[in-house]
Amino acid sequence: MIHVRDLVKHYRVHRRAPGFGAALRSVFSRKFDTVRAVDGVSFEIGEGDRIGFLGPNGAGKTTTLKMLSGLLHPTSGEVTVAGHVPKDRDHELLRAIMLVTGQKQQLLWDLPPSETFELNRAIYDVPRAQFRQTVDELVPLLGLEKLIGTPTRQLSMGERMKCELAAALIHRPKVLFLDEPTIGLDVTMQSTVREFIRGYNRRHRATVILTSHDMDDVTAIAERIIVIDRGKISFDGALDALIEKMQPEKRVRLTFAEPVGEERLAALPGRVLETEPRRALLQVAQADLRRAVASALETLPVADLEVEGAPLEDVLADLFSRTAAERSE
Amino acid sequence: MTRVGRYLRLLGVQVRMSLLTTLQYRADFWIECGLTVFWIAATLVPLIVLFELRDTVAGWRWPEALLVVGFFTVLKSVLGGAIQPSLDAVVQHVRNGTLDFILLKPADAQFLVSTAKFSPARVADLVAGLGMLVYAMHIGDIRPSVGGVLAALLLLAGAVGILYSIWILVVSLSFLVVKVDNLTFLFSSIYDAARWPGSIFRGVAAVLLTFVVPLTVMTTYPALALRDVLTAREAATAVFVTAMFIAGGRWVWMRSIGRYTSAGG
Repeated sequence: MIHVRDLVKHYRVHRRAPGFGAALRSVFSRKFDTVRAVDGVSFEIGEGDRIGFLGPNGAGKTTTLKMLSGLLHPTSGEVTVAGHVPKDRDHELLRAIMLVTGQKQQLLWDLPPSETFELNRAIYDVPRAQFRQTVDELVPLLGLEKLIGTPTRQLSMGERMKCELAAALIHRPKVLFLDEPTIGLDVTMQSTVREFIRGYNRRHRATVILTSHDMDDVTAIAERIIVIDRGKISFDGALDALIEKMQPEKRVRLTFAEPVGEERLAALPGRVLETEPRRALLQVAQADLRRAVASALETLPVADLEVEGAPLEDVLADLFSRTAAERSE
Repeated sequence: MTRVGRYLRLLGVQVRMSLLTTLQYRADFWIECGLTVFWIAATLVPLIVLFELRDTVAGWRWPEALLVVGFFTVLKSVLGGAIQPSLDAVVQHVRNGTLDFILLKPADAQFLVSTAKFSPARVADLVAGLGMLVYAMHIGDIRPSVGGVLAALLLLAGAVGILYSIWILVVSLSFLVVKVDNLTFLFSSIYDAARWPGSIFRGVAAVLLTFVVPLTVMTTYPALALRDVLTAREAATAVFVTAMFIAGGRWVWMRSIGRYTSAGG
């Protein structure tokens, strides 16, 4: 569905020294630097795949997303999406893709969302019967019954986001570009949006490409992770494989029936990450896991015990710091 | 034909959205109508004062000059009602990065941004402008030939094209510079000169107002056509200037879109 080879995007940016003198000089003579926002990226994405595009701010992930959707023209390299070159803005391709961003909205502000649906129907040339069917499918799934007739400006942020999603899906796109889709939403609304996106992917075999700083979005939506850092791919694979590669240790979360001193925890295999009188969090190597669990159950008043992988936030922080360190060597 | 039909249907939907928005804000509609009437009066006062003192100005009698004001007012309704609201919104789209959504739609982006917003209250200008044309022909005993009327209509259509292209050129600058509000304000001020017959301007001003900011072509030439005194040379100038502006506007827009780097990210 998406084929990317040696994709490069360089920007020319104006640079000047701080201070008034330098600012004045820059009015007459400017110095430019070349920023390698995306620097030789290659990957393949299949139909129906759910991809999480991760990276620190300024890593090049949004630039890549914009080149995939045709908004930015690559400096060099190959991109095809559904067999089309995005920068040509072929209408057939534009009918197959859509972009939803949590920070920008396309709904008509003064009119009810149903009017934006109608406008998109006309722009995407959706036959009336298919339009009815799509709206009838989306409205109950997202709980929009009372919202689509209310002017957009009177809706809450979460309600607007749900309507944004519906408006973006009127033409049943095959590729969804999602840029921070749950930013600013409350927990319930976030989980509604994530569940809906997963469901859309299942029902229509749509390819989903997500960029988000919210790791709950990533774990809930993406099955494969592409990590991009300073314009290059530093990881491409399954979410579990990333965690396994970076932090293979497991975490054992213990809850006690009565307070337990730190000296008793120190006797267990592994490292104590957090401790409170009635709680503790241990980091244990995979090989020591059985022994650690057995020992905890045997020697401590354990009321509850959970084994989990390292949180994605920690894994990524670790990955970014390692790649930064490798580059500085 | 299906392509034309599709774009006409799209235009219909966009106009409908603007009407629906206007109906949401009834008070705004009436206030804008009131302001339009006020501005029409303000446009006429200097001319009325001048023609109280003299019978002709640069060879134009009062009814003939009123024809120019009529075309000026009709074009002003097109500018304020159909061109300015949409294209001002483009500047906002560029600033906020929401132009991305428009560029990702499977339709011509220039068409979509140019038809996104209409201001129905400016129909008041249109009615007033047409009224002035009819009144001027009546009091001046101006009886145009069929050819004259056709030429005037064609020139008026061309003038709409020029006006739109100038606005596209100004808006395209918003891809390069952050603030174009002053430029749009500057053009609105210059456009006010279009209410005067072109022959009152001499020398460099006359050339500038024919070729650079072709106000003379837009309002004086249609008035000359209605009076059946438009020369072949003026007609050829009008065709040349109109074609140059429309082609130039489209070219600059396409170049600007290619350079658009989108906000944020």
